[in-house]
Amino acid sequence: MSETLEEFKNSFYYGSRSDLSFKFLKNLPPEVAAEAIRQILEAVVTSFDTGEVTELHDLVIRWQVDAYRPAEGSQRKYVYDDAPFVLPGKPLKESRVGLMTSSGHFVSGDDPEPFGVKDMTQREAEDRIGEFLRETPTMSTIGRDIDAADLRLRHGGYDTRSALEDFNVTFPRDALLAARGAGRIAEVADPMYSFPGAASQGRLRKNVLPRWVEMLHGAAIDVLLLVPV
Amino acid sequence: MCHVSVGHVARAVEESGIPTAGVYVSAFRFVAEEMNLPRTLITHHPFGRPMGPVGQPDRHLEVVMAALSLFESADRGGTVVEMPGRFAPG
Repeated sequence: MSETLEEFKNSFYYGSRSDLSFKFLKNLPPEVAAEAIRQILEAVVTSFDTGEVTELHDLVIRWQVDAYRPAEGSQRKYVYDDAPFVLPGKPLKESRVGLMTSSGHFVSGDDPEPFGVKDMTQREAEDRIGEFLRETPTMSTIGRDIDAADLRLRHGGYDTRSALEDFNVTFPRDALLAARGAGRIAEVADPMYSFPGAASQGRLRKNVLPRWVEMLHGAAIDVLLLVPV
Repeated sequence: MCHVSVGHVARAVEESGIPTAGVYVSAFRFVAEEMNLPRTLITHHPFGRPMGPVGQPDRHLEVVMAALSLFESADRGGTVVEMPGRFAPG
């Protein structure tokens, strides 16, 4: 079976070669995707001799930047002229800091069960990404002192391999606790929050965002750290 | 789309009176800029690894500390600051 370059590069985007770290290849024209792949392979070979992989990582990151950047003149939906801004009401060292991520973490026994599916796998979440993008996201609350063994993760929109190895890659609970230990902040708010950010923007804004804002005020959070993934 | 979702959260929470700061990877810096978010720290990390490599608590703490500093240093919405340092696992 022959395969065009177009089909090949697109197969990394939820296709036969699905790899969410390389799904960006779909955004590139075929000849540009080919050049990206050539450069990445060249950097792999260079690393054989140098033992240095930082350049290779930087190269992949640069291609991600290029591929996700909106095309010039493209219609953009969420562009705002105004920038909301309030100053913190108290010094950081006296502040209670909240954490909210779009990493898709949840607690064992408290699975949000998207579409009513019990124990949905990561693979199924990726396969159903189109449905997630039309749905209202569910917020999970996560106890600040949760054992890593009780933390679960499912998200159809990003490569979860690193976060499965170390949740702090996308859900920096330990770093926030270390900041508290160092006296930089007064307290880490309990619970913390996570939701799968691949969701309907309209439904998020209309159906849940007002409740989430109310919830944060109810938790007496002074400042909120956000980690999109 | 995750980055846009969090952008909406940042804007709504800030408008309600709670200051926010977000950690965005460089591939999605344009989202933070287009949405004019209150405070954004950009990490030069791969998509899906905003805080840094696996098993590097020192790097994760550096990123958190830099993001927290934005609550002290930013004097206007739309503040975007680049985090120094490269993605260096191992």
